[in-house]
Amino acid sequence: MERYWNEEIECMSREDMKKLQDERLAAQVKHVYENVKYYRDLMDEKGVKPEDIRSTDDLHKLPFLSKADLRDAYPYGLLAKPLSDCVRIQSTSGTTGKRVVAFYTQHDIDLWEDCCARAITAAGGTNEDVCQVCYGYGLFTGGPGLNGGSHKVGCLTLPMSSGNTERQITFMRDLGSTILCCTPSYAAYIGETLHDMGYTTDDIKLKAGIFGAEPWTEEMRRSIEKSLGIKAYDIYGLTETSGPGVSFECSEQTGMHINEDHFIPEIINPETGEVLPEGEVGELVFTSITKEAFPLLRYRTRDLCVLSRKKCSCGRTLIKMSKPMGRSDDMMIIRGVNVFPSQIETVLIEQGYSPNYLIEVDRVNNSDTLDISVEMNPDQLSDKVKDMQQQERALAEAMKTMLGINPKIHLVTPKSITRSEGKAVRVIDRRKLHD
Amino acid sequence: MANVRQISVFVDNKPNRLAGVMKLLKESGINLRALSLADTKDFGILRIIVNDTDKAVRLLKEAAYAVTVTEILAISIPDSPGQLSRVLDILGADGVNLEYLYAFIGKSDRSVSFVIRVDDNIHAADSLTRGGIIQLTENDIAEM
Repeated sequence: MERYWNEEIECMSREDMKKLQDERLAAQVKHVYENVKYYRDLMDEKGVKPEDIRSTDDLHKLPFLSKADLRDAYPYGLLAKPLSDCVRIQSTSGTTGKRVVAFYTQHDIDLWEDCCARAITAAGGTNEDVCQVCYGYGLFTGGPGLNGGSHKVGCLTLPMSSGNTERQITFMRDLGSTILCCTPSYAAYIGETLHDMGYTTDDIKLKAGIFGAEPWTEEMRRSIEKSLGIKAYDIYGLTETSGPGVSFECSEQTGMHINEDHFIPEIINPETGEVLPEGEVGELVFTSITKEAFPLLRYRTRDLCVLSRKKCSCGRTLIKMSKPMGRSDDMMIIRGVNVFPSQIETVLIEQGYSPNYLIEVDRVNNSDTLDISVEMNPDQLSDKVKDMQQQERALAEAMKTMLGINPKIHLVTPKSITRSEGKAVRVIDRRKLHD
Repeated sequence: MANVRQISVFVDNKPNRLAGVMKLLKESGINLRALSLADTKDFGILRIIVNDTDKAVRLLKEAAYAVTVTEILAISIPDSPGQLSRVLDILGADGVNLEYLYAFIGKSDRSVSFVIRVDDNIHAADSLTRGGIIQLTENDIAEM
């Protein structure tokens, strides 16, 4: 039997949900316009007044916010409540530049934890469970979010944070943890360590895992499920909107239900900003309609995915998003096909090549060209030219299967592609020079 | 064993790549005995026979070149019309499949040497011996 944390909301009819969203959106836009000068200026620039936003149908009139805006407005520029009303700060890792800080009132913490409680319940969690949280605690939202959700559900909560894996397993065994919350890569590592320590899944009581905060594949899901003897559920969120729990997986495991009573999703064309119909791949945009302190309207996540209102066997009517397929800022459109560097990297690793590569895109006679320079594998060097050309052909074939278009592969000397200390430059798009 | 070790080096089709390999060998006093370069649009495979194979391989690897060593056959035949044709006929008659071959300077100006790359060295070496063709050892070549 499927359990819900808030059945009224999670199984609400589309009409009622839209009504709720309409009311909340109109009130939120007014709140933001009155309290956030940064966004008020953006709205004024576009000639949009709060009165123009009466329902979700008017959402497209609002200006977007991006990560760049968050940096410009750092630290208080997007704050919508006096600091005296705020009780918490969380922050992003800051790996791609300046940190983003998000503010929470007690109400914001409650709604965030409530979203996490929905996720834990959807994974089968009740007050009978022992929930081991090995996301990092601190500024990172993973630990605090799931910790709070676990409290709400009434699970016996183990606030382990990450690291010290043998101790994680000792606690897991001694205290009979039934639910594990962490990143998927850490779950895989816990599974490996469990077996290295000579235990099997019979030695632990885990039944479910809630894993997020990084991209993971279906293959990884199956391997974690096997090594820990559990069902593995995906969870999605970002500090800018609150943290984990913006969306979560149910027993069907075919995408994540978005808590759309708090976050209205849209899918847009990342190039033009145009809103795309349901079922099309594009950039995910969220509008927070209930948060008080840090309510972002039309925030561009840069995650690419698909939305679906297909009926779900779990009974929830909340719209579903697919696993993010990549980042919009990495996406290239070549001959009309979406290509991500991550896909190219996957093929290279599968085929035994170094993941150091250079992608060059150009336009010759009005047709896009894709050239990939790949460091040849020194163990595969042959004195025969035809062997080497065969390697290039085999790699091009594997790329075509993955990407849907035929690239030209160029083998180059090992270690000759420039390494970078920070974010590596992997793509040179010369088409922009011609435009 | 008459087989001779040939070093193959992967070189990008860019200016100075070949020069880099030659400079490295020059500085270490290694002498080239035979050389051929097979190239494609993107890269070349430099094949060389040197007077000190082990040292050359070690130095090239230390300098991060992709290197592989293959055993090839080397022969010496009289420098007169029809000699190479005779060798190919012998190999052909025995069904030896030739991958590539290249000439290099021989012991004297009355003979010429060839590197012969086949898939089955033992079979080919037998065939050459039976046909009365002189095969060179790695030592022979090093002392040229």
